[in-house]
Amino acid sequence: MKNATRLMDVIQRGLTGPLMEEDVFNRQVTLGLRRVVKEYQIHLLPDPIINQDDDLADRVWQAALDFLVVCGVYNQSTGRVILHSRDELLRGLSDAPEQVWLGSGRDAVLEHYRLVEDRRVPVNMGSPIGSPIPEELFIPLMQSYIQEPLVDVTCPASLMTVQGQEIRVGSPLEILAAWEEVDLMRIALARAGRPGMAWTGLMLSMSDAGQLSAVNPLGLRDSDMHTFGIVSELKTNFEILNKLTHSIRMGGIVDPYANPIYGGLGGGTAGQAVLICAAMIAVSVVFMAACCGSSPTHPFNFNDTGKEVMQASSLAFQAIARNSHLMTNLTITPVGGPGTKTLLYETAAFTIMSTVSGISRLLGPRSATGAVAGHFSGLEARFSGQILRASAGLERGRAEELAQRIYACYAPQLDQKPYGLPFQEVYDLPAIQPTKEWQKLYDETLEELIHWGLPVA
Amino acid sequence: MDNLYTALIEAIRTGDPEAGAAEAERLAQSGVSPLEIFRECIEPCLKDVGDQFSRLEIFLPEMMEAAEVVKAVQVVLKPYLKAGEQAQVAKGRIVLCTIQGDLHDIGKNIVKAMLEVNGFEVKDLGVNISPTEAIRAAKEFEAQLIAISALMLPSLPYVRDAIEMVKQNEDYRRRFKIMVGGGPVSRDWAKKAQADGYGDDAIEAVKQAASLLGV
Repeated sequence: MKNATRLMDVIQRGLTGPLMEEDVFNRQVTLGLRRVVKEYQIHLLPDPIINQDDDLADRVWQAALDFLVVCGVYNQSTGRVILHSRDELLRGLSDAPEQVWLGSGRDAVLEHYRLVEDRRVPVNMGSPIGSPIPEELFIPLMQSYIQEPLVDVTCPASLMTVQGQEIRVGSPLEILAAWEEVDLMRIALARAGRPGMAWTGLMLSMSDAGQLSAVNPLGLRDSDMHTFGIVSELKTNFEILNKLTHSIRMGGIVDPYANPIYGGLGGGTAGQAVLICAAMIAVSVVFMAACCGSSPTHPFNFNDTGKEVMQASSLAFQAIARNSHLMTNLTITPVGGPGTKTLLYETAAFTIMSTVSGISRLLGPRSATGAVAGHFSGLEARFSGQILRASAGLERGRAEELAQRIYACYAPQLDQKPYGLPFQEVYDLPAIQPTKEWQKLYDETLEELIHWGLPVA
Repeated sequence: MDNLYTALIEAIRTGDPEAGAAEAERLAQSGVSPLEIFRECIEPCLKDVGDQFSRLEIFLPEMMEAAEVVKAVQVVLKPYLKAGEQAQVAKGRIVLCTIQGDLHDIGKNIVKAMLEVNGFEVKDLGVNISPTEAIRAAKEFEAQLIAISALMLPSLPYVRDAIEMVKQNEDYRRRFKIMVGGGPVSRDWAKKAQADGYGDDAIEAVKQAASLLGV
């Protein structure tokens, strides 16, 4: 079924599906996950970060399908549940693209579906992904990512103000901010000499009005990724569906995401793995994603580089890679910030885990959990690019050894929240190059990883 | 904890409201004071539940279920409370919401469950709540604390509006404390915006609420 046809079908189901109160739906998510975790015997060992058990991954896939057939996706605007049968889900999954061109001209890159332990390198979306940045630093900051040869595509930071004014969702300032984001990104791409590089937007548009205003041939292009998040867990509403409808009609690359919260409705690692997998199936079938994205989140540190979240992510994404041809992406959200080795260690462990688990694109690093203004820089995206290339094709056993060794270096730091230094203190701004100190930490850490056996070219 | 409460503790731990209510009724009928039940059983048991969640040994659903058991127990024990005792078991009333323009609710739900298992009475207004709606609800619920969550930068101005509305009105300022949290909210931001409290996660939110309400 083509996207335009399926869109009408999804809208219709959201208008006519079974009525349900939101609290009842939440309860249904929890009970449904508990049921399938038990029925499909989803048990994770406490120690391994990277899943080594193919049969377990396949059971997670079956559990996720079973769960989603019963649970569905909740439309908050109508109080109805969008349901699909197992056959409909499977047909929808078979319609999903296996590859997609991102960007245009000589800056275009091909993203493709990857297998577990695939030798092909995932696309590197080097980016702070919506982390807050003062207006005056936006262009040099984004240039610091775009100019990196190992960065393939990008995604902007979030402007903290527009023309000095605080941005307010649902107001004209949100629409101005959406246009400002487009205008400044165009300047940053041009200055870095990569005008056709694809980028994901819009970061500042929470409302449909904001997003729709700047998604057009003069704004966010059809060669760019049009993103929106579904509400945790497994919920949508007319604002989200309005964004989706417009992007499909525009012919843009639909790039939605779902970020299940660890310890939330899915509970621990087993439920979280099934929930992530189910959410990616929903993102593909209900939201017609070209690429299905996630950044599973820790409830207290707000990162995804802790052991439990990585365990669940590895299992879920292996389940998807082994049982479908979906293109998937994960976002690195480290606790550490620029100028700290913690950030680099977190980036390395997460990148190795993601790459061998079959993702097609890596996003980030969204350093310092993406919550601290200006605490991110292009150098860490160079680092993730290096690690992506080094870990593509690694066997999971070897990847696990490396991930464990690296994890031990940063795990004790996570609760300390080492947010590091802001961009302007780790980069020479006129030259848009990392300071000697930040570059030295980078080189030292990379040397360590090479010494431990990571095959960095 | 006394063996007297084994069945009630089990009901809270397994999230069984019917068993919890039945056992509370049995205890009250057998002459155990409701205040003793709260102080000797429910409060320490719920503190333990909250502590387990803060270490992620249990998860949101288990915590919500424990809170549901306690609500059922409160209903059953209410007729047994003597005049003035109700106030002694209540830690305070809180309205909680995600601010206008923001639809994120899991973080808020975690805060809600943590507050409830720590003995606060919470009215959850949901998501996308305007400052005026939050204040109206606080008046109706006779809350002492308004707790607001925001996860997206462009929704922060509405949080500041809510703080301003409380601080600029003498009656509201006297009646309500206001506490904020969520991804883009920092301690500095909260201080500048003149919020009374700030919690950077659910654990801190409980500490702040207790401090602001003097319990």
